[in-house]
Amino acid sequence: MLHIENLHVSIGDKPILAGIDLDVKAGEVHAIMGPNGSGKSTLAQVLAGREGYVVTAGCVRYLDRDLLALAPEERARAGVFLAFQYPLEIPGVANVQLLRTALNSVRRSRNETELDAMDFLDTVKGKLELLGMDDSFLYRAVNEGFSGGEKKRNEILQMAVLEPRLAILDETDSGLDIDALKTVAHGVNALKHPGRAVILVTHYQRLLNYIVPDRVHVLAGGRIVRSGDASLALELEERGYGWLMPESSPQTEARP
Amino acid sequence: MTPTLYRQALEQTGGSPHLLAAREVALERFFSHGLPSPRDEDWKYTPLDFLERAELHAPHHTAEDWTSEDYPGIALKYGNGRLTDVYTQSIHAHSLADRADTALVVRYLGQLADTFPGNTALAEINSALWQDGLLLHVPAGWKSAPLFMVHRTSEADAMLHLRHLVVLEAGAEAVLVEQCLGAPGLAYWHNSVTEIVLGEGARLTHLKLDENSAAATHTGLTLVQQARDSRYRALSLNVGARVARHDTRVHLDEAGATCQLDGVFIATGRRHIDQHLHVDHRAPHTGSSQTWRGIADGRGRGIFDARVVVQPGARKADALQSSRNLLLSPHAEIDVKPQLEIYTDDVKCGHGATVGQLDPAEIFYLRSRGIDADTARALLLRGFVEQALGLLKDSGLADWLEPHLAAALPAPNKEHTA
Ligand SMILES: Nc1ncnc2c1ncn2[C@@H]1O[C@H](COP(=O)(O)OP(=O)(O)OP(=O)(O)O)[C@@H](O)[C@H]1O
Ligand SMILES: [Mg+2]
Repeated sequence: MLHIENLHVSIGDKPILAGIDLDVKAGEVHAIMGPNGSGKSTLAQVLAGREGYVVTAGCVRYLDRDLLALAPEERARAGVFLAFQYPLEIPGVANVQLLRTALNSVRRSRNETELDAMDFLDTVKGKLELLGMDDSFLYRAVNEGFSGGEKKRNEILQMAVLEPRLAILDETDSGLDIDALKTVAHGVNALKHPGRAVILVTHYQRLLNYIVPDRVHVLAGGRIVRSGDASLALELEERGYGWLMPESSPQTEARP
Repeated sequence: MTPTLYRQALEQTGGSPHLLAAREVALERFFSHGLPSPRDEDWKYTPLDFLERAELHAPHHTAEDWTSEDYPGIALKYGNGRLTDVYTQSIHAHSLADRADTALVVRYLGQLADTFPGNTALAEINSALWQDGLLLHVPAGWKSAPLFMVHRTSEADAMLHLRHLVVLEAGAEAVLVEQCLGAPGLAYWHNSVTEIVLGEGARLTHLKLDENSAAATHTGLTLVQQARDSRYRALSLNVGARVARHDTRVHLDEAGATCQLDGVFIATGRRHIDQHLHVDHRAPHTGSSQTWRGIADGRGRGIFDARVVVQPGARKADALQSSRNLLLSPHAEIDVKPQLEIYTDDVKCGHGATVGQLDPAEIFYLRSRGIDADTARALLLRGFVEQALGLLKDSGLADWLEPHLAAALPAPNKEHTA
């Protein structure tokens, strides 16, 4: 479903990703772990189409299309979803308005009929329930005044409404209490399907108890330095990252 | 505009000998001041001396051809400056010209315009030349049905001086919506003066919608005097005219009086929209708040000048001001001048003013949800404006206003082509 080959990305003149190779097949769950600043969010944002990141080499294919050639909204309509590490606040725009505009944009692109306000409410209420969210969240401005955990849950609500084929969750588990973590995991598991794939960016093994990954990757210094099965996450929890750090990555390069 | 043209306009007005004498005096005073020039500090962004070079006249015709808009209340329609419906269903609203000789009008008319400081020239020419306007008088304890005062101009180069008087006695309540329209592309000058006197505990909600033609000049002065525990809530939507200047001056004269002056301006094309607010806290426990959102696109120009004065006696006053502004094109300009002058301790004041651009990170966030860039910008602009519309929530006017707002917001992708 997703095939990343030798991906190099810079921000300004600064190289951040230094040759990423990754293959994600339909039905799989991949976890990406790694130290702070290693490039995990950069990878996630590049996949979602954020401007300002320069791809200096490599390519990304998604469902046999050149993903990097698509505008962000085209990627979303093709089924790519990014749950942001830091969701944005949009004052004055009600959550329900964002959700309905987004869903109808996606439906229109698939030649499906748009949902009117009533049908949309029916759809979204089921999703709210799944995530243990109150109706009142629909009418509040997007993420404005939401607690950290509520923002993360709201990202998953958007995901649940859009039903993406490739969901990339950037530290959605950070800042969640134990019950919220279970609810969010439940929301993600509810989406699991042989035709769909999930990439989880996380620092903690905890989430992986609820969403069991097929593969675990360690990103350090802009490269994937180790891949393994679910047991790798347990090992990392034990030993940290030190033993994996590449000798000459931009991260660990010795400065005089 | 030569003195002869103003004199001709004066001859077309009417009234009792007493009123005519007052008009003569006002005109002489106006001649001694002249129209505001760039030398006036208060008018430096919006000089009106270009009107001196225009040849304007008092309207000859009454306007007809009303749009078929439905108003959720009682509508009073003014065409080219005069009330065209002879019959209105409101027991509280009347043509000011018809009531000019009543004791109430004689008592109140000019009381604020003649005594409030500032804004002299435009008030004087209005006092001299007004032909008609609204008298809204709500007796003690009464509540008036929502009233829509609609002005439409259809005569080129007309000079319209509208005069409105609103008197709410103790405990009275009213909702007044003012809408100004003009035939598209028509040049004219609409100059209005509104005097509002709120008795003890009176409550007025005042919505002002400026949709004048893109070639028009609009000058409006609203003066409000508030007694104990009265509440004035105003929402302005300034989206019309080629040159617009809106002045609001509120005196919170007695304890417990509060005012909320919110608004939105949207200066697209070559529009120049200038709003001046002045709130004077003259008694203890008075409150004022202002929430404004401004947008300029194309070669549009916006000015937001808000002055709040807390006088020495006004202990425990509460004054809040928020003004946020967006520039959508490199040629647009917005000048913001918030001023708080506090002459007493023990007050709660806060203000914030910003001028910026749409946030690319917010646009990306929406696009990453499948929303195209133009729709994302439109959503963000609507959301931006929404922040100043809190007053609509319990007013019952939100649905009526929505299409007007939608029409005024810059169309998507203009940002790139403007
Ligand atoms: N706009 C930017 N300008 C310069 N450097 C940037 C910019 N954005 C990110 N970086 C740098 O890129 C590197 C990778 O950042 P990224 O956010 O991808 O890390 P991460 O692996 O997600 O870290 P964390 O675990 O803390 O979320 C960091 O060193 C960061 O400072
Ligand atoms: Mg990150």
